Amino acid sequence: MMAMTARRLASSCLSLFILVTLVFFMAHLTPGGPAYSILGQKATPASVAALNQRLGLDESLPRQFGLWLWHLLHGRLGYSYLLNRPVGQLLWVYERNTLVFYALSIFIGTGLSLLLGLAQGVWSGRWPARLIGAFQLGFYAMPSFFVAAMLILWFAVDLGWLPASGITDLRDPHPGLASFAAHLALPVATVALFTAASLSRYFGEAVHEELGKDYVRTARAMGAGPAAILLRHVLRNALRPLVTLLGLSFPYIFTGGVIVESVFNYPGLGWLMWRSALSQDYPILTAIVLVIGILTVLGNLLADLANGLLDPRESYE
Amino acid sequence: MSPVLELKGLGVSLRRGGRDVPVLDRISLAIAPGEMAALVGESGSGKSVTALAVMRLLPEGALLAGQILLEGEDIAQASESRLRALRGKRAAMVFQNPLAALNPTRTVAAQIGEVWRMHEGGGRRAARARALDLLAEVGIPDPAARLDDYPHQFSGGMRQRVMIAMALACAPRLLIADEPTAGLDPPRARQIMELLARLRRERDMAVLFVTHDLALVEREADAIHVLYAGEMVEWGAARAFFAHPRHPYSEALLGAVPHLGQARLRSIPGSLPEPEARPPGCRFAPRCARAEEICGRARPPADVAGNTVAACFFPLPAAARAGLAAAPAPPRVFPPLLEIKGLSVRYPAPGGWLGRRRLAPALEGISLTLGRGECLGVVGESGSGKSTLGRAVLQMIGYEGEMSLEGESLARMTPAARRAARRRLQPVFQDPRESLNPRMRVGEIIAEPLRLQGGLSRAARAARVEALLAQVGLSAAIAARYPGAVSGGQAQRIAIARALAPGPALVVLDEPGSALDVSTQAMLLNLLKDLGRRHGLTYLFISHDLAAVSTMADRIAVLRAGRMIELAETAALIAQPRHEYTRALIAAAAPGP
Repeated sequence: MMAMTARRLASSCLSLFILVTLVFFMAHLTPGGPAYSILGQKATPASVAALNQRLGLDESLPRQFGLWLWHLLHGRLGYSYLLNRPVGQLLWVYERNTLVFYALSIFIGTGLSLLLGLAQGVWSGRWPARLIGAFQLGFYAMPSFFVAAMLILWFAVDLGWLPASGITDLRDPHPGLASFAAHLALPVATVALFTAASLSRYFGEAVHEELGKDYVRTARAMGAGPAAILLRHVLRNALRPLVTLLGLSFPYIFTGGVIVESVFNYPGLGWLMWRSALSQDYPILTAIVLVIGILTVLGNLLADLANGLLDPRESYE
Repeated sequence: MSPVLELKGLGVSLRRGGRDVPVLDRISLAIAPGEMAALVGESGSGKSVTALAVMRLLPEGALLAGQILLEGEDIAQASESRLRALRGKRAAMVFQNPLAALNPTRTVAAQIGEVWRMHEGGGRRAARARALDLLAEVGIPDPAARLDDYPHQFSGGMRQRVMIAMALACAPRLLIADEPTAGLDPPRARQIMELLARLRRERDMAVLFVTHDLALVEREADAIHVLYAGEMVEWGAARAFFAHPRHPYSEALLGAVPHLGQARLRSIPGSLPEPEARPPGCRFAPRCARAEEICGRARPPADVAGNTVAACFFPLPAAARAGLAAAPAPPRVFPPLLEIKGLSVRYPAPGGWLGRRRLAPALEGISLTLGRGECLGVVGESGSGKSTLGRAVLQMIGYEGEMSLEGESLARMTPAARRAARRRLQPVFQDPRESLNPRMRVGEIIAEPLRLQGGLSRAARAARVEALLAQVGLSAAIAARYPGAVSGGQAQRIAIARALAPGPALVVLDEPGSALDVSTQAMLLNLLKDLGRRHGLTYLFISHDLAAVSTMADRIAVLRAGRMIELAETAALIAQPRHEYTRALIAAAAPGP
């Protein structure tokens, strides 16, 4: 297991390097540049050139890249051009918000998936399963910004129960936990519902498939009841596809869906990435891609490790 | 003594295509404590349905008629909660294919312990101790070290023992074993059989042993019930039954079981009728040589004679079974076709980053010559390397050593010549359904080797396919069907036709009959033998069933742990085995008590 982990990490480093290189050059080769974002569209060429020189953007691209790598090796991610703060610090502030938001969403979404999937697997082919199937298909087909907008319309505008956007009430100098919770409710509900729609479908199919297997018949022949069969036998075997999918969605936990965060104006990493891409704030953009890359690798690795624990055949030669 | 299990007029209907189709009719039997009753039949006879019906594990929508008395209590209409209390506690079941029938992600101790805790309560530690006792009782070596192993870490025979231990957890009065030896080689099957026989004596437990293999139950069963097309055709004491079977079907079935050195097997014409299309009178009548007009009209009466009952109008006279004429064929002389010298095969070990680790060789130092027109049998237990030998001969895997076809070294050929040579080496695999592409029509499957060879027009190919189908005894109409729509026996005939299509020099038969029923296997082996003689085919016949091999092979090679320990003429090998292991194989394949 340890050897496998080390091997996987080593080969991931190469993929990460390629990813970051690609993003660095793609970002720098796009026309325009951060100078216009900072100085405005009416900036004179002279002032742009002066700013580019100050930011080091007049150097050759390979040199810039080498410098960026050199700083990365020393743990420095550079400064944001626009916000003029260290990238590391910025990332941490926004990432914290995203972490809370998505951890909650995935947690609730996974719980919902387990319940829905079990019900769907057990009642496969009958009306409860069809109802769940309709829900899954509906959310699968709808764009997330539409659902988010509808939720805002109903619960924030019409009913006025919940705030529509932001992370807390800006007028309140000492916001409490309740304020954060109220602001989180709608975005979390959106992401949790979307997560559950796809995850529960895979899980439900896995449950149904496992229920048809010989070992379930054996358990019945030994006198096990439906609850014992589901919880003691089927659950663990059916969890594997769910864990793999969760591992793949792991990076979203931190980066956030750009769309959902922008609709709710939620100051998370996804929102930051969107803003930085618009203003060509290279250091932030590259750093966020690096973070996403690392998280993808870690997520997959975690899923594999979890599956190894779930299924003894995985780690056995 | 009152019976543990008594079935009175048990009937089962299953939902098939929106209708209730009766699949089982009027099954009556009784098993006393300590008795082992064998329920014998071919696939489709309803034997597994009977076993599942007793446990009330039939699929939803199944209708039951008659009574199922478990220790006097009728459970045919019992509630699900009552059944849960009985299952595993008073009646337990052992299934075939334990790798699938055991939960892959739980340790064997957990699975055995669970059954015990479910019915007897008790803590984790007590359950573990119980699991340890049971594993020791069923003969798992060093059971304490294996408690926390998972099912996939056991070998096939040991896995079935785990399954048996699980069934024994609450000391049931009735044990149902549904083909527990399917997929095991004969020595291991025999060991499982002996284990069950011992357990039923020691525990005074009733055993219902469901199988298609008459040879297997001959030694141990007390009573036999032969099922055909959902009905019992003959039943009674096992000894009397094997001494003189009286129903024509039982007699034919016994004749189809290969015996050592037998020259030709009995095969039964026709095939088992589908449940929807069963004949009104005696269900065996259309395939029966003794049938007369009345057999097609009326249900046959139960004819009692001695200790057995046959449901037949014209039962066979109670004469002793005809002795097996084992007149050995005179040894034939063959010109050499394939020469193998010092053949070794090693499979690379999985994993290994720097330099590939290698496993112990799967085959080592095999040298033999295969004559043109000869049938060479290769026998050995699972893992002895016999399938590896087949694959190496087919040039499907890499090997060390020398192999030459008609004097030309296969390893030193140019790639094109080698491809051409490979077309002359054709395989027939064990599972005919798995080895036929389900998305291709039968005609296309047989024509594919011809198409690869090239040089034939479409019409010429079609004509050749028709001729090949006729050779293997199939009608030309089957060419338009898909493999899913043919029976197992037909599928294997199709696989043979495909192998014969390119006019091969050598056909490698890898367990060609083991996935088939006894009578279908007999038909198939006879067919192969006839084809071989008629067309001068050369066979490499690989099987774990020494008896089946001995009916076809001119010579037999015995493999063990990757080495060839004996190679001799079939008759000589059976009469004077030189190696200890060969003697054991012969003993396991020998019939009768």
